Amino acid sequence: MKRVLKFLAWVGVALLGGGALATIALTRGEQLNATWFVVASVCCYLVAYRFYSAFIAARVLALDDKRATPAERHDDGRDFVPTNKWVLFGHHFAAIAGPGPLVGPTLAAQFGYLPGTLWLIAGAALAGCVQDFVILFCSIRRDGKSLGEMAREEVSARGGLIAQIAVLAIMVILLAVVALVIVNALKSSPWGTFTLAMTIPIALLLGLYLRFVRPGRVLEASLFGVALVMFAVVAGQWVAASPSWARAFTLSGISLAFVIIAYGFAAAVLPVWLLLAPRDYLSAFIKTGAILCLAAGILFVRPHIMMPPLTKFIDGSGPVFAGKIFPFCFITIACGAVSGFHSLISSGTTPKMILREGQARLIGYGAMLLESFVGVMAMVAACAMPPGVYFAINSPAGVVGSTPEAAAATISTWGYHLDAQTMTNLAHAVGEQTLLNRAGGAPSLAVGMAQIFSNTIGGERLMSIWYHFAIMFEALFILTVLDAGTRVGRFMVQELGGRVWRPLARRSWMPGSLLSSAVIVGAWGYFLYQGVVDPLGGINSLWPLFGIANQLLASVALVVATTILLKMKQIRWMWITMVPMAWLVAVTMTASYQKIFDASPNLGFLAKANSLAAQVSAGQIAAAKVAETQRLIFNQRLDAVVTGVLALMILVLIVEAVVQWYSILSGRREAVLHERPYVATQWAEGFKGTAYGDD
Amino acid sequence: MRVTQMRQTAKLATRWVRRFWQGLREWCGDAAYERYLRSKGREDAECRTLTAEEFYVEQINRRYSRPNRCC
Repeated sequence: MKRVLKFLAWVGVALLGGGALATIALTRGEQLNATWFVVASVCCYLVAYRFYSAFIAARVLALDDKRATPAERHDDGRDFVPTNKWVLFGHHFAAIAGPGPLVGPTLAAQFGYLPGTLWLIAGAALAGCVQDFVILFCSIRRDGKSLGEMAREEVSARGGLIAQIAVLAIMVILLAVVALVIVNALKSSPWGTFTLAMTIPIALLLGLYLRFVRPGRVLEASLFGVALVMFAVVAGQWVAASPSWARAFTLSGISLAFVIIAYGFAAAVLPVWLLLAPRDYLSAFIKTGAILCLAAGILFVRPHIMMPPLTKFIDGSGPVFAGKIFPFCFITIACGAVSGFHSLISSGTTPKMILREGQARLIGYGAMLLESFVGVMAMVAACAMPPGVYFAINSPAGVVGSTPEAAAATISTWGYHLDAQTMTNLAHAVGEQTLLNRAGGAPSLAVGMAQIFSNTIGGERLMSIWYHFAIMFEALFILTVLDAGTRVGRFMVQELGGRVWRPLARRSWMPGSLLSSAVIVGAWGYFLYQGVVDPLGGINSLWPLFGIANQLLASVALVVATTILLKMKQIRWMWITMVPMAWLVAVTMTASYQKIFDASPNLGFLAKANSLAAQVSAGQIAAAKVAETQRLIFNQRLDAVVTGVLALMILVLIVEAVVQWYSILSGRREAVLHERPYVATQWAEGFKGTAYGDD
Repeated sequence: MRVTQMRQTAKLATRWVRRFWQGLREWCGDAAYERYLRSKGREDAECRTLTAEEFYVEQINRRYSRPNRCC
């Protein structure tokens, strides 16, 4: 009887999810409520988790709870720490959820709400979660080894090096693009700039407290810090209202870029306890709180979706970024659907803390589902505003003009009604001088969040506070990614450079630290500057580049996972990683090819460079602008080279892996797995981790 | 009967609050030093036990030396 009821309950969940998805997909010309997005995604996640992840856990990976995990075998209270599964779930989720699942769906909303939403749900269930889960499992079986080490051992030595270089490349592009998102959100915004600037002394104060006053008392320090940050958000309006203070905090895009570059360098070389760690604590609390509030707000307000399911921009003529729905929807939304960067987390701290193999399902697969849900909420927030407003905020000045009148005129010709007064009123309501040309996704997401929050608490009166709270929340954890990424990038440069010149590999050697920090900051700073001076807003070229790099890393992870499955003799089930791998390779290679060689200057890097070069030769560029145009030409060619090199490296890795698969399948080569030998667990069945004193 | 039920509910609520609090402390790293002091590996190791301050600095230096925040 119980089984029948269970069966009927799951049939009900599946039917509800299917019905909600059909409603989202088939509604035309009627008002669609955001609740359908929540119902569709949650039901799909439940079904995927209950059935697909259980199938992978039992049939493909054969998770074994009796096998001791690295946390048990090497328990040292530092790296290897047996941790309760829910606590580890929280750790893992906080580590994987960055700005990507918020910004990517917001940008992809230019295609309409449908493609992005379907990709977020299907991509996560069939690709992203599978990647995170399988890589986590592989790392658990190898004492918590990193993706690079596993690629070296299981695929080839060259595979390891390629993975390492790919990680460094993606890090550079990631840092540049997230910094550009901050610049576009804060330029000419004294309120936002002041609030974010205040987080630096607050973090320093926390750092000193945690180091010297009450070492390691993170909770009390963070709660105090969060209160101070909230005060800074409110105080920002007084700064914006004061002419002299407002002038001091009103910075242009270029000035902000240099400030952020200097900040990144300082964060990489300063002691980690002083700035980086306390900022991360603040960011983790505010991020978790804001995401929970957004979910609650959407459920409470149940906004109507105003964006159509598909816009005319699926043909590749979009103002936010160029490129057709295939492949660019799948490049733009990486985090939230499938993100290669997650494989670094799944083969980083998490495998060293997990109690039982069986928990890899909840943590690897489940946490990624939750991230996908964050992406769906970002899509809802972006699509709940009128499309005209969305395009006015996210389109660069080069496309829609820089005045409300020009933007309204251009956007109205696209079929999305917008009057100039709407933009002026909206900017006034959120306490900004203008909201036009804020490419990058953060400001439009902040407007969407502010509308949802103000409909829940405070109404119009609190709209400006909510907007700046949302901007602070996004910018705060983007800066955390910037700090932490620059520091890790510095170590990678030292490690790679140490192969050429040994002293560079010594982390404690100050000149080496300064030099490698300057190299990594210089690299992302260059791309950032390039984005800031780009007349098309920078996001147009940098975000696809980031998406390509991230998805190529996912391809690396899935190649490694497929090789391991083959060596485990799971040939029947290799498709679970091979199908997403093939899809990602198809998407990234098509996108790379189009970004390099497409004949349209809006899309192809080389076409753009050639078009600019032709204008210079024809004397169509004013003499004063020739040097700047030459720089733009160089930047476009550099982007083409970076994309080409990344794609080529991954192709080499895939060819190497395929040759190895063929050798193993044809019996010419023995399949050697580099797993740690089986050790039975000594823990009792109900053991929940040292945190709860069960030992 | 009602008093007993109320007591049981209060007990249950207290237990849940305590578990949530412990979980929160674990999640944010507040309880890391206590966990280190309890860890089996530390007892077995030959090197001396770190002070709270040494442990804190060592722990965050290690944590921020590898990718630990995603895009």
